[in-house]
Amino acid sequence: MHIQKKYSWQLPDSAVTPESHHMRRREFLKTCGLGLAVGAFVPNMARGATFGFPDSLNPSDTLPGVKLTPYSDITGYNNFYEWGLDKGDPKVNANKGWKTEPWTIEIGGLCRKPAKYDVNDLVRTIGGIEQRNYRHRCVEAWSMVIPWDGFALSKLVTMAEPQTEAKYLRFTSFLDPKNCPGQQTHDFPWPYTEGLTLPEATNELAFLATGIYGKPLLNQNGAPIRLVVPWKYGFKGAKSLVRIDFVAEQPATLWNQMAPDEYGFYANVNPEVDHPRWSQKTERVIGAGFFGSRQPTLRFNGYEKEVADLYKGLDLRKNF
Amino acid sequence: MSFIARIVASKIFALTLLAGVGVYLLIIPAFTGQLGANPIERLLHVSGEIAIWTLGAVLSLTPLRVLYPRSAIVNALNRHRRWIGVSACIYGLVHFSCHVLYQGDWDDLLQSFTKPFTWFGLTGLSILVLLALTSNNWAVRKLGGKRWKLLHRLAYLAAAVLIFHQSIAGKGHWYIARWLLGILVLLEGARIAKKAWPSSAKSP
Repeated sequence: MHIQKKYSWQLPDSAVTPESHHMRRREFLKTCGLGLAVGAFVPNMARGATFGFPDSLNPSDTLPGVKLTPYSDITGYNNFYEWGLDKGDPKVNANKGWKTEPWTIEIGGLCRKPAKYDVNDLVRTIGGIEQRNYRHRCVEAWSMVIPWDGFALSKLVTMAEPQTEAKYLRFTSFLDPKNCPGQQTHDFPWPYTEGLTLPEATNELAFLATGIYGKPLLNQNGAPIRLVVPWKYGFKGAKSLVRIDFVAEQPATLWNQMAPDEYGFYANVNPEVDHPRWSQKTERVIGAGFFGSRQPTLRFNGYEKEVADLYKGLDLRKNF
Repeated sequence: MSFIARIVASKIFALTLLAGVGVYLLIIPAFTGQLGANPIERLLHVSGEIAIWTLGAVLSLTPLRVLYPRSAIVNALNRHRRWIGVSACIYGLVHFSCHVLYQGDWDDLLQSFTKPFTWFGLTGLSILVLLALTSNNWAVRKLGGKRWKLLHRLAYLAAAVLIFHQSIAGKGHWYIARWLLGILVLLEGARIAKKAWPSSAKSP
């Protein structure tokens, strides 16, 4: 029997299934036969890492009343500047034949087991995937709750065997200006890069996602593999990764280079430290509708218990 | 006057176009659920974009008239300066209303007023409101042509402040604002050049 440990971030499946999904299920039953026929005409959305599905969500009841963001919002409202500045752009522009399978990711830098992996092989080597419901807080003061599929980053770190000089991880997204319109401009220092300290990367919450809602990641969400760090602002979650390097110095990150006064290296969700242009005290919940109100933002996005120890003695106002 | 110029000159054409932009980009999407996952944010951004491009449009009219004094279409467009300007102000007010809605409550609204980013927007909007209020014939008479003209030069200040407001608005929105700035600077530059060397065509 497979015994699964309950963590506080694992939201209950029952409490979070959006109504639209119940409705969809009913519709599905009605059009069961038709469904098969329609399947043949599903638009050509390139799929990333497909290994490991279906996976399972560990039921837990520690965060009652939290509602999952509808799939259509998670896959239609994306900050992914490689594919356009408007949040509706990536869904369109990243699905014009851009291929995310096969995909190779390289683990390198200061580690004893540097290697190149096909993403599906990597998932196989790691031992499969699991589903976790995480809060997602964008630095722009909106939030979602997303059921990610993937595996703990710590598993990859263990596998790579970092050397003692390794203090940080650098995450690098794809660079493909030929097929990616956003990367044809020189407005940003492409490719997208992000970073974590080694203790952050080995925290149980840090996650590499290959799916959402039990389905392989769509291109607009960072297929086939992306970083998810739920206690930090969303921009830390570098998408469509091609490299993860162990490094000795704090790596330069794209947004920190663009606007160091607005986007710090740590970027921990913190309602007490405002963005220069807006307050971070509250957030707008995506999917709450036209008159949906704001909700208070939580320290470390509600994961204070799990991660606050990482920042003991650190002035979080200075190291925002 | 050509057929097209006559249409462009008509008040119905101008008002349909000015209101139509809002109907097409704000009202229809709102009532058909096309605003996406974050509807008020969408309205906020789109209304701001409309406001600043409308302001850009009215500011480009004078240089265009200087550059192409004999163009029937440019002259037709120039008849609508007042309504284009007033529209920029109205879209600006819609934008501000969306900001209030987006903040959701008093606490968040007051918080937003502590940010320089908001001050720039409000400064620009205040100027636009002042200019819209004094855009009628009565105000022109009351102030006298000279003073009225001087007052309405504030439109340039509003544009500068608002382009700056827009350029810092989003993580990448400068890449939109710079187009507007580029066009306006180019037009103004050409206008000034033409005034400084008016007879360049005649001189050998």
